[in-house]
Amino acid sequence: MSQFTHKRVNRRSVLKGAAATGLGLGVASSIYLPTAFAAQDAAPITFWTAHSGLGFDALTKISEQYNAMQSNYVVEIVQRPPGSETDVAGLITAVRSGEGPDVYLLDRFTVGERGASGLLEDLKPLMEAAGDDTDLSQTFAGFAAEEAQYDGGIYAMPFDTDLRALFYNKKMIEEAGADMAAWDKANGPMTFDSISEFLLSMNVEENGALTQAGFVPYFSQGWHYTYGFAWGGDFFDYENCTVSPDSEINLEAFQWVQDYCETAGFQKLYDFRQPSARPGAAPTDNPFIQGRLGAMISGNWEFAGFANYAPDTEYDFTFTPIPNEGDPSITWAGGWSAVVPAGANNVEGGYDFAKYMTSAEGQRTYVEINNNLPTNLALLDDVELLGENLAWFAQQMGTTRNRPVLPVGAKYWDEMTAAWERIYTGDASPADAMATARENTMMDMDAGGYCPIAPPK
Amino acid sequence: MDTPGSMTSPTAPGLAAAEKPKAIPWYKSRVEKKNLRLGILFISPWIVGFLGLTLYPLLYTFYLSFTRFGGFKDPVWIGLANYQRMFNDDNFSKAMYNTFYFTFLAVPIGVVVALMLALAMDQPLPEIPLYRTLLYLPSILPLFATAFIFMTLLDPNQGIVNDFLRTLGFDPPNWFGDARYSKIAIIGMAQFGAGQMALIYLAGLKGIPTSLYEAAEIDGAGVFNRLFKITIPLMTPVILYSLISGISGGLQVFTQSFIITNGGPNNSTNFLVFYLYRNAFAYSNQMGYAAAMGVVLFVITVLMAGLIFFTSSRWVNYDMAG
Repeated sequence: MSQFTHKRVNRRSVLKGAAATGLGLGVASSIYLPTAFAAQDAAPITFWTAHSGLGFDALTKISEQYNAMQSNYVVEIVQRPPGSETDVAGLITAVRSGEGPDVYLLDRFTVGERGASGLLEDLKPLMEAAGDDTDLSQTFAGFAAEEAQYDGGIYAMPFDTDLRALFYNKKMIEEAGADMAAWDKANGPMTFDSISEFLLSMNVEENGALTQAGFVPYFSQGWHYTYGFAWGGDFFDYENCTVSPDSEINLEAFQWVQDYCETAGFQKLYDFRQPSARPGAAPTDNPFIQGRLGAMISGNWEFAGFANYAPDTEYDFTFTPIPNEGDPSITWAGGWSAVVPAGANNVEGGYDFAKYMTSAEGQRTYVEINNNLPTNLALLDDVELLGENLAWFAQQMGTTRNRPVLPVGAKYWDEMTAAWERIYTGDASPADAMATARENTMMDMDAGGYCPIAPPK
Repeated sequence: MDTPGSMTSPTAPGLAAAEKPKAIPWYKSRVEKKNLRLGILFISPWIVGFLGLTLYPLLYTFYLSFTRFGGFKDPVWIGLANYQRMFNDDNFSKAMYNTFYFTFLAVPIGVVVALMLALAMDQPLPEIPLYRTLLYLPSILPLFATAFIFMTLLDPNQGIVNDFLRTLGFDPPNWFGDARYSKIAIIGMAQFGAGQMALIYLAGLKGIPTSLYEAAEIDGAGVFNRLFKITIPLMTPVILYSLISGISGGLQVFTQSFIITNGGPNNSTNFLVFYLYRNAFAYSNQMGYAAAMGVVLFVITVLMAGLIFFTSSRWVNYDMAG
């Protein structure tokens, strides 16, 4: 038998142990109890986001800051699986079953649509009750404020944003013989026609396939909206309450894209882009990162990607090109927003956190960690915070457009994207493709009985 | 247990020829009632599941198909408008076409592939368990994983399939990126799941008496004769099952376009369930329209299954069962 089996536990040692344990618990409770009670009193706020990487880190930091600065609520951040921006199946089913979050980070261009369907709480009464300014344009960039409202209601608080511009690989275009002064953003925007021939000349083929391209018009952010807005077009006719993807100006823009793709070879361009366009493609599949694409229309979020995956690439950016000399360069912006889903368990807390997240303090944290553009007006002139590149993008906000706020925004996007594909693959003329998109979208508009829709203020 | 409610036949042994068969009483004895209660209790999880998770959603979907509904506000009754709309909706017609195209090609091809796999699994070789495992393995992969494997295999520039085709001197297509090939690629991908059905076929093959093959061989029947005159006719009950379940699955094809193509290119992989899903969860206030599509899909599935079932008496051979 071992010596331990003979050891007796006497009363004194039990009392000593109990006293020590009691003392220990007492000390521990004096340290932890106030926090424990505070946490018990604070109402929980569940915050869902599909962000990952640095974006998620930044949102976590904002949640921590919020938890530390007040004691009424405790935010618990939950990472949701990423998916298509317009797909809110998870949110809809959760809200229907009463298990939805109190705050959700929603793509801002779908706010009107989700508000119209009843998925989101109207924040206006909460703002009025809290004495907050219901004129969002006093606090946020105009286009972002516009996207957060629908039919007199305020359904979101604008968070970050992203603007489009023409990015280019300096070394590649210089070696191809570009006039570098024209590409310098200090000298203003170039016209599409002035660069198309040069960009086409950069295409290199091997065995009938492109191994290098100067430009793929629909790569990255080369969307229907990008070209329509660049040409000065509109996508909704408020007077007649109809979507207008096939307006004369838009068709002119889309024709330029189709002509470019036809000259380069529809299928060759498509195949060149395909590896980077497939779902789950790695950032290193991007031909711009690989040094095989001369120029692309993309957004300010690329800076982080370049730093990570192409640190040695010499790149620069300039205005989105213009159709005619003297025209203003018009780009468009998207971004995220904080919403409170209908029937949230903690509506007041949800609004309170949404307000903090989108405040100057919350957005500052987001910019510092994720290096993205804020929408809060208080930060747009802060060059120290934004850095030189983001500050340039912030300056373009004056001519920045946003997608029209419609109750059929997601459908409209899908229809135009299907039409867009037909245009850049040469499957249909811009007029035919976009007429189909208009008809199909209007079918949803008519079925929903949404007309008339008031134009944004 | 011989009870009044059981299968008592007038010609049952022990029953006098002159005796009239006893009428089955409508009432049940205490023991029977107890047995009935117990029986219902035992199958109650299924009953609850069926009523709550199948019948109720089915009826509710039917109701919603006559409404405009976004999931949150009260449904608004609009009569047959959702059904009428389908006739004018290009995307719906395209989705129907794509779905039928997939089903009518993928299901028959799947039957042939599964039968071939089953025949391969049935070879009298010592290492056959290994082959069976290898042939069955792809079908246990989740469709999600298979999708990513196929995206890599069929990549237009870096995929191994196109590399191989290039070495043979072909100009390979952009499988998922070209509307002419995207459905073909998805049909090919569906065959990865044939192992599941092959196991059922294998069980069917094992049920065919070897004496039939021996007799045929003695009569001079070759491999093909034995296959087409013995194996396939006797496998028709299994083929009937696989056709009905295959068509039901084929009409519900969804995951491939959700993961790989998002309905494109040019709507070529916009299948009915995918379009239904987009309407229900991506587009605003279209849940009623999605429900109407669900009802149409349900009716089509039932009609097709019924058609196959009722024509089966002409081509399904139940000799083995008899």
